[in-house]
Amino acid sequence: MIVRFWGTRGSLPVAPNAATIRRKVARALLSADGRRFESADDAERFVAEGLSFAAGSTYGGATSCVELDGGSSYFICDMGSGLRQFGMDSMRRNSAGHSKTYNFFQSHLHWDHIMGFPFFAPAFDPEATIRIHSGHADAEQALRRQQEEISFPVPFDWLRAEIEFVHLNPGRTHEVDGLKVETILQHHSHDSYGYRFTDADGRTVIYSTDSEHKPDNMASEAAFIDFFRDTDLVVCDTMYSLADSVSMKEDWGHSSNLVAVDLCHQASAKCLALFHHEPSYEDEDIQKMHEESIRYEELTRNGTSLEVICAYDGLEVRL
Amino acid sequence: MECTLEAQENAIIVHVDGRVDESTWEAFSACLSQAIAQAGKAGLPTVIIDLSELEYMSSRGLRVLTVAKRESDSCGIATELASPNEVMAEILAISRYDKLFTITGGASAKP
Repeated sequence: MIVRFWGTRGSLPVAPNAATIRRKVARALLSADGRRFESADDAERFVAEGLSFAAGSTYGGATSCVELDGGSSYFICDMGSGLRQFGMDSMRRNSAGHSKTYNFFQSHLHWDHIMGFPFFAPAFDPEATIRIHSGHADAEQALRRQQEEISFPVPFDWLRAEIEFVHLNPGRTHEVDGLKVETILQHHSHDSYGYRFTDADGRTVIYSTDSEHKPDNMASEAAFIDFFRDTDLVVCDTMYSLADSVSMKEDWGHSSNLVAVDLCHQASAKCLALFHHEPSYEDEDIQKMHEESIRYEELTRNGTSLEVICAYDGLEVRL
Repeated sequence: MECTLEAQENAIIVHVDGRVDESTWEAFSACLSQAIAQAGKAGLPTVIIDLSELEYMSSRGLRVLTVAKRESDSCGIATELASPNEVMAEILAISRYDKLFTITGGASAKP
């Protein structure tokens, strides 16, 4: 199974401005310290190996959209603004013979998780089938509403693909085009749902975003530990520091890097992908949060190690 | 994890030993509630949690501190952390709990 991250930012799409790029280029030139490069490839190697990720790249700013490539059709978690780019890439793959069936799995229906759908080009393809799986009974209403005249010029009924809505229930295992799918109810405004995907080889991926774990209800985390058990990759909401998540940002519906590490440790998960990055964070802030999460994992490890990676737009993880 | 209480002139001191994690947070929580009740009953203004013998605390323990602080604040009792070791000082910094609690003595987190 391959997991592709098309959008990793929380709440609101963001983009680096001119000053940010200028600062990155200036720092890269300083780091190069007069060195000459024989080719663009040589220079890119220096950026990849000689600079930190935050200095030489960016975590990106598209909102939640994660593809799981492991079944006989497309599997996509959430329709954030990253969906636009996935849609374009999938049309390239379709022209090479890929199935035109798209299975979406919605964590929930808040704006940042559905805003990519009006820009999802395959929705205009009459040969495409789009199945939108959700634990929410009002998924169709949410998608139709955002394409009403007052918000968007193209109404939902103008879409040419065959679109169906599939309601999923927690506690059941659903078989979808070669993957087993389970879901769990999460604490978030208007509810959210986490997903556990298992492919034919037994590889497992958790997608758990927009999920708050509150200090006065820690006993409820046992269900999440069971759900995360022995997973190969856990994609987890790590939007805030623990202190923020229990103080000024409590009840905003999000989790922290420390709680994510603890849940994964207790579940014996193999790899944690930090996800749903705070939109006000610069690349340096996200990199620092990643480094601190790795350190916290080391400090609290009480068994086998947990690999902690940080999701960015364009990351591919092969399981 | 061992947790014991000591009454001093101006504070209840909570001595905590070992690890506070997923298997011990409930006992730690009960101990802090007892400390706050004891401070309230004795009219003492402060509960000091002595971390000098604590190995480390996971997010479970940190969140117990939050719940205890809410409980003590509602009774007009201050909660302070004292003497964290190097590991705990680092965890307090990583979690940003060093911004939520008064911490006295002990190791400082690396910048």
